Amino acid sequence: MKKLLTGNSAISLGVMLCRAEVISAYPITPQTTIVEELSEIVADGRLKARFIRVESEHSALACVAAASAAGARAFTATSSHGLAYMHEMLHWTSGTRLPVVMVNANRAMGSPWNIWCDHSDSLSQRDTGWIQLYCQSAQEAIDTVIQSFKIAEEVLLPVMVLEDGFFLSHTSEVVDVPEQNMVDSFLPPFRPRFKLSPEEPHTFNIMADPSMFIHFKHDAQQAMNQAKKVIARVDREFKARFGRGYGYTGNVRMSDADVVLLTLGTAASTALEVVDAYRKRGKKVGLCRLRMFRPFPSEEIGRLLGKAKKVAVLDRDNSLGAGGIVAQELKAALYGTVKKPRIFEFIGGLGGRDITPRDIGEIFNYTMSHSGPDGAPVWMGVKK
Amino acid sequence: MKKKTAKKPAALKKPSVRAKKPVQPEPSLPPMSLSFDGTLATKTGTWRYLTPTYLNKLAPCNEACPAGEDVEAAMVLSGQEDYIGAWEKITRENPLPRVCGRVCFHPCEGSCNRKEYDEPTAIQALERFVGDFAFQAGKRFSPPAEKKNEKVAVVGSGPAGLSCAYHLTSLGYGVTLFEALPRLGGMLRYGIPAYRLPKDILDQEIDQILALGVESRTNCRVGKDVQWEELKTYDAVFVAAGAWKSLSLRVPGEDSAGVMSGLTFLKKVNSGEEVDLGKTVAVIGGGNTALDAARSALRLGAKPLIIYRRTKEEMPAWGEEISEAEEEQIEFIFLSSPLRVLAENGKVRGIECLKNLLGPPGKDGRREPRVIENSNFTLAVDSVISAIGEAPDLSFLPSPLPKSGNAIPVDEAGATSLEKVFAGGDAVAQPRTVSYAIGSGKKAAMAIDATLRGENTAEAIRLARWGGKGSLSMAGYRSGEGDGIARQVVQFPELNTAYFPRQARKPKERLTPEQRKKSFSEIDRGLSSSSALYEAKRCFNCGVCNLCDNCFFFCPDLAISARPDGQGYEINYDYCKGCCICVEECPRGAISVEVKK
Repeated sequence: MKKLLTGNSAISLGVMLCRAEVISAYPITPQTTIVEELSEIVADGRLKARFIRVESEHSALACVAAASAAGARAFTATSSHGLAYMHEMLHWTSGTRLPVVMVNANRAMGSPWNIWCDHSDSLSQRDTGWIQLYCQSAQEAIDTVIQSFKIAEEVLLPVMVLEDGFFLSHTSEVVDVPEQNMVDSFLPPFRPRFKLSPEEPHTFNIMADPSMFIHFKHDAQQAMNQAKKVIARVDREFKARFGRGYGYTGNVRMSDADVVLLTLGTAASTALEVVDAYRKRGKKVGLCRLRMFRPFPSEEIGRLLGKAKKVAVLDRDNSLGAGGIVAQELKAALYGTVKKPRIFEFIGGLGGRDITPRDIGEIFNYTMSHSGPDGAPVWMGVKK
Repeated sequence: MKKKTAKKPAALKKPSVRAKKPVQPEPSLPPMSLSFDGTLATKTGTWRYLTPTYLNKLAPCNEACPAGEDVEAAMVLSGQEDYIGAWEKITRENPLPRVCGRVCFHPCEGSCNRKEYDEPTAIQALERFVGDFAFQAGKRFSPPAEKKNEKVAVVGSGPAGLSCAYHLTSLGYGVTLFEALPRLGGMLRYGIPAYRLPKDILDQEIDQILALGVESRTNCRVGKDVQWEELKTYDAVFVAAGAWKSLSLRVPGEDSAGVMSGLTFLKKVNSGEEVDLGKTVAVIGGGNTALDAARSALRLGAKPLIIYRRTKEEMPAWGEEISEAEEEQIEFIFLSSPLRVLAENGKVRGIECLKNLLGPPGKDGRREPRVIENSNFTLAVDSVISAIGEAPDLSFLPSPLPKSGNAIPVDEAGATSLEKVFAGGDAVAQPRTVSYAIGSGKKAAMAIDATLRGENTAEAIRLARWGGKGSLSMAGYRSGEGDGIARQVVQFPELNTAYFPRQARKPKERLTPEQRKKSFSEIDRGLSSSSALYEAKRCFNCGVCNLCDNCFFFCPDLAISARPDGQGYEINYDYCKGCCICVEECPRGAISVEVKK
């Protein structure tokens, strides 16, 4: 059924359709309305779940991780500082191979104080062992939540679904909300092989000594490798049932593009308009929206971008002392490939600053007019 | 070189499946690290270097009770509204809860840990409530389970004699009480005024003890009505004849008509005799006898003047007696000593006194009075009551029994130098209070029992010790479970007061000073049932597990479980890793820590 929904509302309905059994979260802007709506959904009986109030994000994730270990389908949501506060438990959740699904409404990390969108919060957590899927629309957000439970429960890794704070979380769009019976047939109940149960007692997270520890980490890496295939397969299955698929990347006019813009999240919607305008003017530009950041689709992206001469990476984040995180990941992925496009790095949209069509145009113009990058990322809107 | 470097990538390109497989096949791992034997496989107890143990400790009230009552247990039961159970706990040790609930000077409350927090629990008032409740519910002492052939003579029927008779009878012995006065009760009857201890209550308490089969011979003074030789026909003798001999003022005019001792006066009043004090009476002394005499005189319509040689600070009377006398507007003349009784025609008409100053502290720590020369002053009074102290009258005792000053010498078990003769109460050197007397009677009962059974008396007494202050547990003595180890007394810092809301103590309901002056009606009206329960629940239950479940809930290792008998908890040391959260979270300090594996 089609509804006019914000990203947060779409996500709440997605969690309901997935029949999450335990929800625990601590409110933080711009995630808050997800939790609010879910609490109402649970309170009025539309979803039979335990909604557990906690005093912090660390506890929220500890809570859903424990619920997941006990065999419950568990969901949490957070943003920015809340995600940072979860940092320790992010490692524990993935280390315990618990298929928790979390939505993070992307928001800048302070200081200075800021409640608006950028990707520095979730990209700071790239090494915590979570699958990360970045969404572009409310429709994609609800669909990705549904996909995520299926992916997580198959590969036993937690999934972080990312939505741009306010740009997506608080903007209403028309969303085709899947029917419950369709979701039920797509997503079977969670039946873990091992769970906390008095009938069959296990201690989770017992100590692994130096001889064993590396094996668990290697196994988790194998699972992450496998996740790539599972993510692709689940996306295909989803498309077959619901008519919508997303891939690892969203690609526009890539087949013959000389200059490709690569970015994450809602900025790609803006870029789409610009690409079309430039194409009309005969400029061979294309757009690659990276949806799957973890696992990083190195081989696929290498093949995809190998045809382009130049790639402009727009990072909505910055790793101080290194540059844009997406750009670094991309450069590392392309290192072993034969055909390497030149990488132009742009930092923009930090702390909620709009990325306008004019900004995107500037990025294309700069990239087209320069034979190569001049060594340092270009900071959009900042005078040199 | 080139060839070698070229080969390396080739080696890496080997099928990953083969490269992963070592010579020894790896065990197949579950996705996460987890045990297959369950929690029980991880014996976290091996990590322990601090060991918590349930060591039921002694509540300070228990240690402080001279009668050896299990106060703490009675408080727990009262908190569960099991007042009959509480009465049974108390009367296991002390047959006079209704008496002590009224007149004991309650050292239990003085040592109550709750006084460090807000106000001490109203233990004495609760004891009275429990005693009255059980009596009104028809509870009486159970007859002894067995009858022994031995007979014991008890000289004196005050609290020591009654206590000894009760315990000996309960142990199966035949007991005869020898009482010089017409009725039983000793100082309880003849010394303590009815407004503090109504006589019907005392009668009911004594009747209960007699109902166990105790014989009594009143108006039977040893040495006069019965000879010591006859007492020697008994298998043992307990001498608790009290301290009835009043010390003389040693001032001129002391033998005038209208001068009497405090005890003589109280005995007359408590026997219902008419006493004519005239308009004004001087009461000399600062102890309880002086205050009881002054307050009784007030109720007889006289105006008492208490003359005391030191100040209020040094008065040996209990604080409650002093404050109640003040409420009744009794006049105190401090720092004054009688010089002579002024008489006219052999009849008192006044008293001449000297003023004192306080000098340095004497042997007992109280500052000594120093006479101020030429500070004479005269008070016009119609009678004089002298209450400057009492001593035992030991003239009836046989000559071989040494008498040292004002007391019969006894050893730690209360045994005199005569074989099978024991002594207690005010006749021996111990604080002259009802509860000490009751305690000494109980000790004598244990000592007599042990002696007659041919056991080591001193050892039997030692094993029945409660704490470090000499209190004895009859329950411990009779069960044989007493180990004689002075148990650790719980101190206030060992309690976790976070679990106890601050609650004001229920004030006593009492007659107004105006109501009091008119009659000998009991001043204290006791606790209502709701106040009694409130006070019982205010009790911290120091040092003793009362099954509050806190340790059970807090143990992160699930190492604490209920004991099979349901009377407490036990710790599984295979899993207790010694975090001692249980110790911290026990509200009442019932768990101790030892530094050991």
